[in-house]
Amino acid sequence: MINIAVTGGKGGTGKSLVATSLAILLSKNIDGLVLADTDLEGPNDHVILGIEELENQESITLFLPLIDTTKCTRCGVCVKICDTGALFMAGRAYPIVFPRLCSGCKACYYACPYGAIREAGHVLGYTYVTPVCFGNGCFKLVTGMLLEGEEHTPPGVYRTLQRALELKPELLIVDTGAGTGNAVSMAFRDSDLVIVVTEPTPLGAHDLDSILEVTDAMNKHVWLIINRHGIGDVTILETVLHRHRVEKIFRIPYDKAVAEAYAYSKPLIIHYPKSPASKALIKISDELMGWIKH
Amino acid sequence: MIEISIASGKGGVGKSLLASHLALLLSGKRRLVAVDADAEAPNMNIVLGIKDWDRVIEHHEGRRAFILDNKCTGCGECLNACQFGAIRVVDGRYVVDRWLCEGCYTCSLVCPVKAVRFERDVLAGWIRIKEKTRWGFPLVSAEIVPGRPNSGKLVTEARNTARELFREAGLMILDSAAGIGCQVIASLAGSHAAILVAEPTRASISDLKRIIKLTQHFRIPSMLVINKYDLNTQLYRELKRIAHENKLYYLGEIPYDEEVPRSYVSMKPLIEYNPDSRAAIAIRRIAERLDNILSRFDEWRLEYLPEAYKPFEPIVIRPDKTLG
Repeated sequence: MINIAVTGGKGGTGKSLVATSLAILLSKNIDGLVLADTDLEGPNDHVILGIEELENQESITLFLPLIDTTKCTRCGVCVKICDTGALFMAGRAYPIVFPRLCSGCKACYYACPYGAIREAGHVLGYTYVTPVCFGNGCFKLVTGMLLEGEEHTPPGVYRTLQRALELKPELLIVDTGAGTGNAVSMAFRDSDLVIVVTEPTPLGAHDLDSILEVTDAMNKHVWLIINRHGIGDVTILETVLHRHRVEKIFRIPYDKAVAEAYAYSKPLIIHYPKSPASKALIKISDELMGWIKH
Repeated sequence: MIEISIASGKGGVGKSLLASHLALLLSGKRRLVAVDADAEAPNMNIVLGIKDWDRVIEHHEGRRAFILDNKCTGCGECLNACQFGAIRVVDGRYVVDRWLCEGCYTCSLVCPVKAVRFERDVLAGWIRIKEKTRWGFPLVSAEIVPGRPNSGKLVTEARNTARELFREAGLMILDSAAGIGCQVIASLAGSHAAILVAEPTRASISDLKRIIKLTQHFRIPSMLVINKYDLNTQLYRELKRIAHENKLYYLGEIPYDEEVPRSYVSMKPLIEYNPDSRAAIAIRRIAERLDNILSRFDEWRLEYLPEAYKPFEPIVIRPDKTLG
């Protein structure tokens, strides 16, 4: 299996556009392609692909402690070990559990000297597996979705990746969320190639610098895509690129067709295959095909 | 102090642009403090063209596990117990992945030979303070060490720092992160109002609906700004309808304007780079409207408080029904 991640640091640079376009293009030649949308806080790949309804829902259930009051001695060990404030003891009362704060790490379960913590579950969100076909290219879209009000994204990213791996893909494309935290670094931890999408502005440059710091430390192969080339100033990215290892640089020109396709939930490369941005994406996909075969 | 979060769900729709300019434009009339609450991609200082800081506070917290090779017997208990997949076998050795470990202690509790140790007070990130920007207001900015966890905690830390250092301010403007997770909750929880930013695209609308659920859970009266409103008429109308249905105060709209990325490159706020640009004029109008709301904030707040209180109820699965 080959695992390729698409990330970017800054939000709105075009990660999902790149990930969905590559999935559509590469699925023409590769059977068993899986696209995993690990942006649990704002998954949009299905929106871009024009999918109305996600299929095959499964809950992402995290461990949740349940205090067995017949065994609990109210010693307070569980409360002390909890890092997220999900367990609370008022005086000498039995500990109270706040499910929303619990990350499901299970430390309390193992720490309790009396075996007074039982395993319950807490639904963090859902994963979906939806078959997608454009022409003769088909792939499966795995989507992770955080419930509104929940806040522990990283374990949800982990479960979404696991669901994608269960499908035994030949090629896995991982679309990450915005940001540079562990919900993102976790998503490309096991990738063979990380494609970083940025924009030629100081904002893009700053967040690019942060994300490349992580890919450098992980020793990843990195390809860079400068999206919306033509707005801003590309020289701004140069100082950042001097500091980090990037193997290839591609440019997607600024193209009104992108915004149009985006507004109407039409995949760009299907509806505007001749647009400048589509041509750039096709070139990237061709190079990627070569890299995969190699 | 009135605290207002700028949030959007989707990234790259113009939160930092709006937050920076609201701070800049309102600072003439009000004492305020700006907080960059996007610790994974802090950009407010870039929009404002701030290049240096008065103070940088290192924030150390949390732990990271590591395994002593000479003690580890390779039993695999830790690998099975870790809920985050942070323990891996590399070249026959059990190792803790430094990017994935949140330091929860689970592996050390199951290890039968005490081979798991902890690095403590790991550097988590920085809180940077500019006491006085060119416009007079202070800026507090949070940034995590890239790739590491707990950005939400750092946001809470930055906000508390701002509250403490700049008590005399009557207004706090927080620029939230993309998404709806811990960073955004850290910024929204405790805010008196939220300004939601959206653009007329399906993806932005999908994410906006999610952030509206959050503001309703936290019962935060909210406003809507549509950025690049002229990209699509149909979706622009749909956004206005969503605002109406969800009782969002319609604060205004900003046209698509290529002067915006040009102003970023110039490292000057748009309003100074090109004060007559269409986007700058629109932002000034939005700032004036917000200023009016702030003058009668209590009244406004009551009017736009989410009607039906929709508290967040986590879904809990019990092993059996006999236990409380």
